Amino acid sequence: MTPPTALPTPAPRGIDAFVGALSLRRVLIASLLALSVAASLNPIFITPFPVLLGRLLVIAVVLLLVFTAAGVWHPAWLPAWFAQVTAVGLAAPMITLVAYLPSVAGDVSRVLSHESYLSGFVWITGTALVIAPVLALGALYRERDAQARNQALRFELERSELEKQALDARLRLLHAQIEPHFLFNTLANVQELVESGSAQAAPVLRSLIAYLRGAIPRLDDATATLGSELALVRAYLELMLLRMPDRLQFELAVPADLAGLRFPAMALLTLVENAIRHGIDPGEQGGRVEVRARRDDASGTVVVTVTDTGVGLRDDAPPGTGLANLRARLAAFYGSQARVELREQVPHGVAAEIVFPVTGAAR
Amino acid sequence: MTTITATALIADDEPLLRERLRAHLARLWPELQIAAEARNGREAVELFEQHQPQIVFLDVHMPGQNGIEAARSVARRALIVFVTAYEQYAVQAFEQGALDYLVKPFDEQRLADTVARLKARVADPGTAGAKSPALETVLDELAAELRRRSGTASFLQWIKASVGTSVRLIPVEQIAYLRADEKYTLVVWEGGEALIRKSIRELADELDPSRFAQIHRSVIVNLHQVVQVNRGANETAEVQLKGRTELLPVSRSYVHVFRQM
Repeated sequence: MTPPTALPTPAPRGIDAFVGALSLRRVLIASLLALSVAASLNPIFITPFPVLLGRLLVIAVVLLLVFTAAGVWHPAWLPAWFAQVTAVGLAAPMITLVAYLPSVAGDVSRVLSHESYLSGFVWITGTALVIAPVLALGALYRERDAQARNQALRFELERSELEKQALDARLRLLHAQIEPHFLFNTLANVQELVESGSAQAAPVLRSLIAYLRGAIPRLDDATATLGSELALVRAYLELMLLRMPDRLQFELAVPADLAGLRFPAMALLTLVENAIRHGIDPGEQGGRVEVRARRDDASGTVVVTVTDTGVGLRDDAPPGTGLANLRARLAAFYGSQARVELREQVPHGVAAEIVFPVTGAAR
Repeated sequence: MTTITATALIADDEPLLRERLRAHLARLWPELQIAAEARNGREAVELFEQHQPQIVFLDVHMPGQNGIEAARSVARRALIVFVTAYEQYAVQAFEQGALDYLVKPFDEQRLADTVARLKARVADPGTAGAKSPALETVLDELAAELRRRSGTASFLQWIKASVGTSVRLIPVEQIAYLRADEKYTLVVWEGGEALIRKSIRELADELDPSRFAQIHRSVIVNLHQVVQVNRGANETAEVQLKGRTELLPVSRSYVHVFRQM
């Protein structure tokens, strides 16, 4: 078996390909060519027209078979058109000779010695040698054309696929981003603060309002910045801290000069929510979530990382739509230069990293 | 109403919610003694064995062991009240199994109904077991459902691969193909290439067959990234992947994978 390395593009091979290439169109073209050659050669031939036409039809069909076969079974290092022209060039004199055999009762020497047979032989062979390259080049041109159209179609398809992905990402964003489970649990906590007259109630409600304002679906990314995204993340983490004060610690460390950079809404929140959901919440011990950002002047990018010291991802944990959604949104927002990558932390936990270009994304 | 005394255990990972339940119970049922509070399912079972309370309030969603699993350990040795925040499917199962439950955030009236039922059962224990004949079945089904939802997918979703000094987590949907490379397997994905220790055979068993197909003794391909399949000689074929130039061989015994396409 061959190893799966890069191989030259294979042409379709075998009898199937041969039969497939022998289209009715090609047979018709060959017959029409035979007819027109017969008509144009008729004045200079003494042979009756039906005999001349018969001979040319036989020659045309056999040459068509040779032409097609050469196109299918030519050696890989030889271009198809060259193999086809060479094969037809070699076959034409022989076929013509064979076509003359019935008239000379099988005596080849009579064709070569008889002047009118010889000139007929030369005329027909010559005509075949002129027509074959023209046909081969025509076929080659059509094939190139089809390939170009194919390529254009594929590019078109890829482009519309990208557009569709970006649109899907926006539509998914419209659907509930706020998990009911999160909302109701948070409200239950707020309820307790209010009922017990806790002084914490007011700041927690402020966080909840900030979170809802940021997380309620919106399509307009025009005003979204890294700073506004951080405010949303902070509100979310404050609420989670209220719910799991004994299991969560967090820190946000983003330089103030990066806050004004344009940044797709909800992109960072997705990573922080994942850190809580897959890292902190499932563990009895909880853990620490850190959000950091730094400018990398060498590559002209900004790197935002979300690290947690939680239980880490099991390899059968569902990636969910969140991450796929995030990747599509980053691609729509920054183009192909942005990426999101996940790494395992030592001794346990996950580090998620968004890298985006700062040129063009800067305000 | 006559005074009925009882002991109870409260299990919830959120301290404010434990406090709230305790405060409301104190008002509605002053004679109820809260024997202990647990922060997760494991603690709930330990404290249950230690204190043997008659009533257990169990939050469904807890870290480590969840409330349903804890309930299976407690089984019929106590009256169980589940506390849940939204799990619609759980509520349905509780109703079918005639299990008591509270939906967070609950109001005091709803808790008062639960307290009345609990008092009746504590006073006449004979009715308690008879009312829920399918308890174990319901709990088993719920535990399975919860596992499914909390994401124990049966297939591999992430490939962990060492790249440099760190371990990359690669979502399987980003993988183009996997190829055996002596003792290792080469993972080729949108972000690069890496070697992992898992064998092609193991991966073929663990990956979702609706997305990944083995096409060669040494190659598994992500079907979602296949752009084109070229038929070759001797019943073989070659596969072209999205955005990649290399062609992957399909050997004769795997050609059937692409028959219906």
